Amino acid sequence: MDHKLKGTSEASSKPSSLMPGNHFNPANLAYGFAQSPKTQSQALPSYHPDNKMKITNPLESSQTVSTPILDWDPRGMLSNLSFLEQKIHQVQDIVRQIISQEGQFSNRAGELAAQQQLVTADLTCIIIQLISTAGTLLPSIKNSLLSTNPMLGAPTAAFGSNPNLNTNQQRNEVVTPEMNKGSEYEELIKSLSASGEDSDELMLKCLDAGRAGGADERIPIDDHDLKESDDGGAADGENLPPGSYEVLQLEKEEILAPHTHFCSICGKGFKRDANLRMHMRGHGDEYKTPAALAKPARGPASEPALVRRYSCPFAGCKRNKEHKKFQPLKTILCVKNHYKRSHCDKSYICSRCNTKKFSVIADLKTHEKHCGRDKWLCSCGTTFSRKDKLFGHVALFQGHTPALPVDLPIDDVKTPNNNNSNNTPELSRGGEAVNGLGGNMSSYGFPSSTSDDINSIDIKGVDDSRGYFSPMNFDSCNFGVLDDFPRPAFDVAENPFSFLPSGSCSFTQRNGES
Amino acid sequence: MSGDEEEEWGRRRRRIAGDPVTAALSADLLALILDRVAAARDRKAWRLVSRGFLRAEALHRRALRPLRRDALPRLLRRFPALELLDLSACPALDDASLAAAALGGAGRRLRSVCLARASGVGWRGLEAAAVADAAGLRELLLDKCLGVTDVGLAKVAVGCPALDRLSVKWCLEISDIGIDLLAKKCPDLRSLDISYIKVTNESLRSISSLRKLEDLAMVGCYFIDDDGMRILSRGCNSFQSIDVSRCENVSSGGLASLLEGHHLLRSINARDCVSELTSCFLSKLSVISNTLNILKLDGFQLSVSALKIIGMSCKNLVEIGLGKCKGVTDEGISELVANCAELRTINLVCCHLLTDDALFSIANNCKKVECLGLESCSLITEKGLDQLTICCSSVKELDLTDCNVNDAGLKCMSRCSELTALKLGLCASISDEGLAYIGSNCEKLQELDLYRCTAVTDNGLAAIAAGCKSLKRLNLCYCTQISDTGMKHLSCLEELTDLELRGLVRVTSSGITSLAMGCKSLVKLELKRCYSVDDAGLWALARYSENLRQLTISYCPVTGLGLCNLLGTLRCLQDVKLVHLSWVSIEGFELALRASCGRLKKLKLLSGLQEVLSPELLQMLQSRGCRIRWVDKPLVFKG
Repeated sequence: MDHKLKGTSEASSKPSSLMPGNHFNPANLAYGFAQSPKTQSQALPSYHPDNKMKITNPLESSQTVSTPILDWDPRGMLSNLSFLEQKIHQVQDIVRQIISQEGQFSNRAGELAAQQQLVTADLTCIIIQLISTAGTLLPSIKNSLLSTNPMLGAPTAAFGSNPNLNTNQQRNEVVTPEMNKGSEYEELIKSLSASGEDSDELMLKCLDAGRAGGADERIPIDDHDLKESDDGGAADGENLPPGSYEVLQLEKEEILAPHTHFCSICGKGFKRDANLRMHMRGHGDEYKTPAALAKPARGPASEPALVRRYSCPFAGCKRNKEHKKFQPLKTILCVKNHYKRSHCDKSYICSRCNTKKFSVIADLKTHEKHCGRDKWLCSCGTTFSRKDKLFGHVALFQGHTPALPVDLPIDDVKTPNNNNSNNTPELSRGGEAVNGLGGNMSSYGFPSSTSDDINSIDIKGVDDSRGYFSPMNFDSCNFGVLDDFPRPAFDVAENPFSFLPSGSCSFTQRNGES
Repeated sequence: MSGDEEEEWGRRRRRIAGDPVTAALSADLLALILDRVAAARDRKAWRLVSRGFLRAEALHRRALRPLRRDALPRLLRRFPALELLDLSACPALDDASLAAAALGGAGRRLRSVCLARASGVGWRGLEAAAVADAAGLRELLLDKCLGVTDVGLAKVAVGCPALDRLSVKWCLEISDIGIDLLAKKCPDLRSLDISYIKVTNESLRSISSLRKLEDLAMVGCYFIDDDGMRILSRGCNSFQSIDVSRCENVSSGGLASLLEGHHLLRSINARDCVSELTSCFLSKLSVISNTLNILKLDGFQLSVSALKIIGMSCKNLVEIGLGKCKGVTDEGISELVANCAELRTINLVCCHLLTDDALFSIANNCKKVECLGLESCSLITEKGLDQLTICCSSVKELDLTDCNVNDAGLKCMSRCSELTALKLGLCASISDEGLAYIGSNCEKLQELDLYRCTAVTDNGLAAIAAGCKSLKRLNLCYCTQISDTGMKHLSCLEELTDLELRGLVRVTSSGITSLAMGCKSLVKLELKRCYSVDDAGLWALARYSENLRQLTISYCPVTGLGLCNLLGTLRCLQDVKLVHLSWVSIEGFELALRASCGRLKKLKLLSGLQEVLSPELLQMLQSRGCRIRWVDKPLVFKG
């Protein structure tokens, strides 16, 4: 994967040069994509003297930004267009490169797919840029466009969350689709995904652990990749018949993402598509129609016969498909919980006992329900929720006795890292600043983020707050996404869209093998 | 107690000081001598000889029964060789005092601790005690320690792995979980009492793993049933004694399965648990015929044939309990005893159908009988007793309450020179003449019950007092002819500890005075409805009856002054009943109860006083461990 990372940094270095010139109407910021760490540092509102908003203080920003959307700025438009131009050139370069190298790597179909996806993502960015640029002129148009193509985020997210794209290899077969209308783009996405599933629905399904059926909706790219990787002789150690069993592997960043559905207007994130649809009602009457509120229908030809299982991205884990005794995980929720429980820091500390730690907040809540009540403590310090469990423990060990339960002061639940507690206020202000809708961004806290990854924490701290009111969003969307820390991009940058990164994850993993 | 002795010792010291003989004896020699001094009175006398003797006795002392918790740490330090500590008399014993006692460093050699009725003791106290005694505690009695929970039991189980005998009777908070842990941690348990606690068959499953367990008592365990018995029968215990009395859900089928698994059972107590014995149980009895000694089947329906089978199967039976059994007839008894020559204790209480014939068959077959309960067997006459006493000269205990025994019967009984306990309650035809026989022959008599023997007079008491010097317990309730003269006769009984004089209206304060002066050992005294006993009697009691622990003076015309003096002076007094003292004013009660300095453990008062006594006083009493029982009767003042 190393060479991919290099590619990423190359890509991300480009947009940084463009950024100072960029200048957006705040209304556009809802389309913002996450920025690379490098862009972040430059994208501080106060660093941009030509930014109309001159935000030095998030609080002030919320006042200045709440100007009407109709407030059109031709200079911003110009910068948007120039950005588009550059972006198109970039895509052209990539495609040309692929064509030139076609003969050499023709056998590496997976990398070809990666190229394909990269280009797709780039094109998506261009489309979005176009739409939003048009949207600055006609806010009503913007709204309708957004409402029609919530799934635009799918490729973008795949793009954004994947740091490992290598832009230097192979040809790209994907032809840029017409970008005039969101509905057409939606069709493009559908055509890309053989399953034909609505990605919203897909996301909803994926998150719902109770519904195993959700697992079988996937963008076919990753299926393809995975199969290829199997064919490529990846030492899976699986004895299962290749057809009966299909393994997907999400990337760490995707697993840890708190939200997967984002409001295209205010950027608020949701875990479920249904919640997003409910939320959208607040943005206008057009979202209140039965059609808009209805659950997106499933595509007809979307029933893959294969059972899908998931692999943990953590190397050496028994749930990782490289493991000799690989035991797959059933659903995406299983993956999420497994990854957090097994490979992340237990950063939620019970406020009552101050000893029990959890990495999944639901576990903490379950524990707190019982913690302190009927708490059975052993002289060795171990606590039990039930007396018989304690007595069983005492019976097992020599010298242990039941002890006095310690009454601990009830503090607030400790936040897993400074990220959450520090940034939430900024985030919410930023959200208001952007669209004046008062979207509460506190839901952007990252309870699930890994505190072990210090870098990512630091960057997120910047990311989350800036991503909203920085005019640099598009830059980062285009190039900066390819940074070392794609998770913020996933969180914030794709907010107008709903999802879906799964294709990229399998892609990455596959590349790692090759 | 010890404080008293020290003071007295100081007084004696001046007399004995410098005595060369006592000074010459070394501590080792004294200890050797002390080994042979057993009686409490003798030891007390020993303590008063000299400081050296006192110290030797303190070093030698093995058993202690303190009355106050405050003195506990000091006492434990003073008696380092204590092995047996009985704290059941300490009022308001709580975790703190127990912990303090344990911290006092004493108790390293303690082998037995009794904490019965220490309802203030919870797991913290037990933890402290267990930690301090971990090395050698073998015996722990926690009867009715209502504050002890599973956690407390766990502390004991973990702290005292060598525990040999444990009683958690009436510890209502203990559950299966605690018992399970106990069974795992104390594999050496030999005796366990889980009576009246709410355990189920699961506990029996745990208990069944105790290989050394010989004695299991589970009285009144309503959740234990035949399945539990089957579990026990498959267990690896080495049971010798099982008590399943009042286990209502245990049937004779369950008992039968129990017999199957444990062929070495020596004692079965199935009192009041099932109404009918089935043939399957009776047939199983032959399995343990060689070992079974004690069989208590009180409350069963027993036919002649059942008794016959029991008699045939259990030839080695030493004790049988047939109290309140329905259907027990002379024929049944004769069938039973025909094969049981070893019987020593026979309980036939309330077997109303029995006549002299039953006594004849017992007399002819069981020559070794020592203890016979015949209460309410009203068809028995002196003929039966005559035969019995002729054949069985070793009779020691005889309960003839409500049997219409007359003087002729007593004459027969006087043949039994070994008699220690005789109960003649409600035998109204007994007179001084009969008592004279007893007094002349039964020197070893320790307990005599003459409840409502209205024909008994002072002369009868004189005969008893003259003949039965070792009498300890005497019940003279409602023997209304007895007067001060009788009390004077009784005053020569130095061993007398329990005396009930209820309703003796002719006994006055002077009689009580002579009694108090003579009977130094008096511990329990009942003077209810002794309408002639006034303050003077109380003064005498306060002055002389230092050991008095339990006193009833309800209805006595005493005043607040006497009461105040009594409660303020008697240092051992723990249980007082003060109902209907209409001459005592509210202030009198207040002062008297305050004067008791929180020594009281139990108090019985009219509920009318609850409102008028100051709440601080009641609070103080309760915090010092005094339980007040309020009697709901009208409050009358005459003072």
